[in-house]
Amino acid sequence: MEKNESGVDEKNRQQPFRGIGARINRNEDARFLDGKGEYLADLNIPGTQEVAFSRSPVAHGRILSIEIPEEFRSQVFLMSDLGNIKPVRAVLNHPDFRVSDFPAMATDVVRFVGEAIAMCVAPTRAEAEDVAQSIFVDFEELPVVVDTLESAGGRTEIIHEGWPNNTVFISKPGNGDIDAVAKKADVIISRELRMNRQCVVSLEGRGVLAYQDRRLQELVVYSSTQQPHIIRTILAKLIGVDEHKMRVVAPDIGGAFGVKNNLQQEEVAIAALAKIVDFPVRWIEDRREHLIASAQAREHHYSMKLYADKNGRILGLDAEVIVDAGAYSIWPWSCAMECNMVVGVLPGPYKMEAYRGKGITVLSNKPPLGPYRGVGRPGACFAMERLIDELAREVGREPHEIRIENMVEPDQMPFTTIAGKLYDSGNFPQSVRKCAEMINVESFRERQKLNAKNGIHIGLGWASYVEQTAHGTNEWLSRNLSEIFGYESATARFTPDGNLILEVAIHNHGQGLETTLAQVAATELGVDPTNVVIRYGDTAVSPYGLGTFASRSMVMAGGAVGKATEELAEKVKRIGAHILETTFDSVLLRDGMVVSGERSVPFSEICRVAYRHAQDLPPNEEPGLTATVAYQPESGTGAFSYATHAAEVLVDTNSGLVKIDDYVVVHDCGTIVNPMVVEGQIQGGLAQGIGNALYEESPYDSNGQPLASTFLDYLLPGFTEVPTARIEHIESPSPFTRYGVKGMGEGGAIGAPAAVVNAINDALKNTGVEINETPVSPRRILTAIQRAASTSDSNEGNNL
Amino acid sequence: MNISLKLNGKDISADVEPRTSLADFLRSPEHGCTSIHLGCEHGVCGACTILIDGRISRSCIALAVAADGCDVTTFEGLNDDELITQLKDSFHQNHGLQCGFCTPAMLISAREIINQNPDLDEASVRFAMSGNICRCTGYSGIVAAITEVAKNRK
Repeated sequence: MEKNESGVDEKNRQQPFRGIGARINRNEDARFLDGKGEYLADLNIPGTQEVAFSRSPVAHGRILSIEIPEEFRSQVFLMSDLGNIKPVRAVLNHPDFRVSDFPAMATDVVRFVGEAIAMCVAPTRAEAEDVAQSIFVDFEELPVVVDTLESAGGRTEIIHEGWPNNTVFISKPGNGDIDAVAKKADVIISRELRMNRQCVVSLEGRGVLAYQDRRLQELVVYSSTQQPHIIRTILAKLIGVDEHKMRVVAPDIGGAFGVKNNLQQEEVAIAALAKIVDFPVRWIEDRREHLIASAQAREHHYSMKLYADKNGRILGLDAEVIVDAGAYSIWPWSCAMECNMVVGVLPGPYKMEAYRGKGITVLSNKPPLGPYRGVGRPGACFAMERLIDELAREVGREPHEIRIENMVEPDQMPFTTIAGKLYDSGNFPQSVRKCAEMINVESFRERQKLNAKNGIHIGLGWASYVEQTAHGTNEWLSRNLSEIFGYESATARFTPDGNLILEVAIHNHGQGLETTLAQVAATELGVDPTNVVIRYGDTAVSPYGLGTFASRSMVMAGGAVGKATEELAEKVKRIGAHILETTFDSVLLRDGMVVSGERSVPFSEICRVAYRHAQDLPPNEEPGLTATVAYQPESGTGAFSYATHAAEVLVDTNSGLVKIDDYVVVHDCGTIVNPMVVEGQIQGGLAQGIGNALYEESPYDSNGQPLASTFLDYLLPGFTEVPTARIEHIESPSPFTRYGVKGMGEGGAIGAPAAVVNAINDALKNTGVEINETPVSPRRILTAIQRAASTSDSNEGNNL
Repeated sequence: MNISLKLNGKDISADVEPRTSLADFLRSPEHGCTSIHLGCEHGVCGACTILIDGRISRSCIALAVAADGCDVTTFEGLNDDELITQLKDSFHQNHGLQCGFCTPAMLISAREIINQNPDLDEASVRFAMSGNICRCTGYSGIVAAITEVAKNRK
């Protein structure tokens, strides 16, 4: 049999080819284009009562009393009304990790504005909100911790009783002798940088609906979650239901991006409530709740020193990173995940002799930090790439040249980084070279010289990064996580009429997996991918698996589907060869048939025999055509995608507004399953990265009150803010994964903050302004310009 | 309060609370217009876009009582609309959707801007569509889809 690079049987390919690598349109589009997606708020289960949460208006306080009007008492449920419900406890398996409990609803102390206190139940949400309004909670207000650096410095109130300070965990990755490097360095680039707190913002908020199924005697929990199986496991444990008597269903999801990738307190509360009432109950998150009470993201502070020689060769990096993780640890990630990721990946695609990382996770009276597209890496990339651009400026060279010279070379792969990550494959410098060609750097510099008129400046910014994806068993173990997400599973099932169903434990909410998993099956079985049904999002329809997050689904579930359909392909061929009275080696699968020369037998006939007429099977062949498998990549260290981004921006120093004129991405995610889907993910991630760079921020005042609780004060990038990127691909298949596929869901969001902010700084380089904080709002630009002007004035004054 | 209106071509009447939003009223099981999606409930994201008397409107910040006597068309009522059919095909061809939550409203807004002025280029599509937010696609597929349909209709 001929095999291509990915090890796939060439002869199984149908004409036109629609398997792995084909740019085909999406199977899942039809129902959404008809307006018939079924999201959580669309479920229509008779008798459902709606829930509004009464939430804390104070950032830190002890609950002294809760007064509920007598007329509403039966409609209000406090934690104490729910029976024995365990608090959520997310831990890292490390002796230094400081553990805190996060109850589904506060019982004695509230630690951020928006923390749930009571559930109010009524036939409609409006009436439930009326009940919530009637509840009076008396607090003894406690000192509020808002400032991250003060909290890290131990100068504030302690948030969890019994702790010596607010520091949760300190991680210290690195290698080499940083002091020796510091001594011999010609150039030291030293900077403080900040990536401010932001919200995740799925367009559909979170939501949970739960009821008791009388016939199956099980608790059914619908949740807008990325990981239904995992949620069932933890919910069962916390609310005291056996796992085989609970079903978790994730229906269509209107965007998730990480905010639906953790156990939610509301899931615990609603599931616990459904246990004790005899009607379905549902909570739909509104936008204010999403912006103030769901898990938030980022809030990184960097103190960085980059050491280099006079030509710009990097010698070492010394970095202290403080991440403000809010008030609690969310399950299963723990609040240290973000910071640990940052210091683990800071060196990026670069070689260096020494790295000393220190990542400090501290708490504050803000919502807990959770995963958001990129997890830690948008900040790490922003901080590192800002320094690289400044290094280039310092040694008088073009930033892209510095990058090329310092990157890990393709012949060094696989490469163990100074922080201990194993890069599997790739040609990092090539991504920069290609990007530079597409931008035409020389011609840009000529234009830049001409252009600084009327306060309008143009700038070019770069960002290169490595995106670890499909984290395997080794990676999760090294992170000391309580759960190990190193595999995925799938069932491939022919129906008796010859059609194919794939049952998977991941979820699909925009990633195109109803198409790309079908393309995998098409590659193995020679079936029409548009006719494959993918079932997911329901613990009752697939084998156990871990969910969709961390750019893992294509690698993990794709691998599982590949393995399962390969197993079925073998059996289909055995049965087909038997029917055709020929040998196994002389048949192949094509267009839904077993083919031998001029003769063929359709899958419908194979399935008739396999399911309904076992007497016609080959000797010793078992009836049925179903395969259930688990798949894990050959190495549990992850598959590493990478990219270089280049942004061309225009900065108006009169208004402080930034416009992105051009955006180029050269990207490598190994074997591409569907280029259209890959480009869609890059472009979509890019939009979120642009939001991170320029618009999105969740600030808090000194009382811990959120200052962004609507879309009027939490700005999202829109049609006029996000350019269509020019995207080119490099394909370096991973040696560790089936088909050589690497994950790629987060990269767009990782590179954009660095590229855009570097471009802004390049535009402003002759004005004495440098901005190292996101989002770069007009206010920040104008303030920086004013400050630079007054500094130069006072300098002049001193000189006089 | 009692109201009467035309919903997707049918005359309906109902007794609604004065505070009930038009979106909640139309999404209720009785009317079942679940193509209306609620992304913010304060009139910014555009996911609840419908047509009131033929003009695009945000059903989340309209009250049901204010629709008394109006001709209301939701995405459910545009199944046979020729332009919507073309737009749906173009969104499919250009990867103009990911999670699908903003999609019905995007299609209604796109139909409106093309009907108003089919002489659209990329920049004018972006400007005219800027009342709808998409969190997944980064807009490029949507812009390409709408621009293509507008071009073909000229």
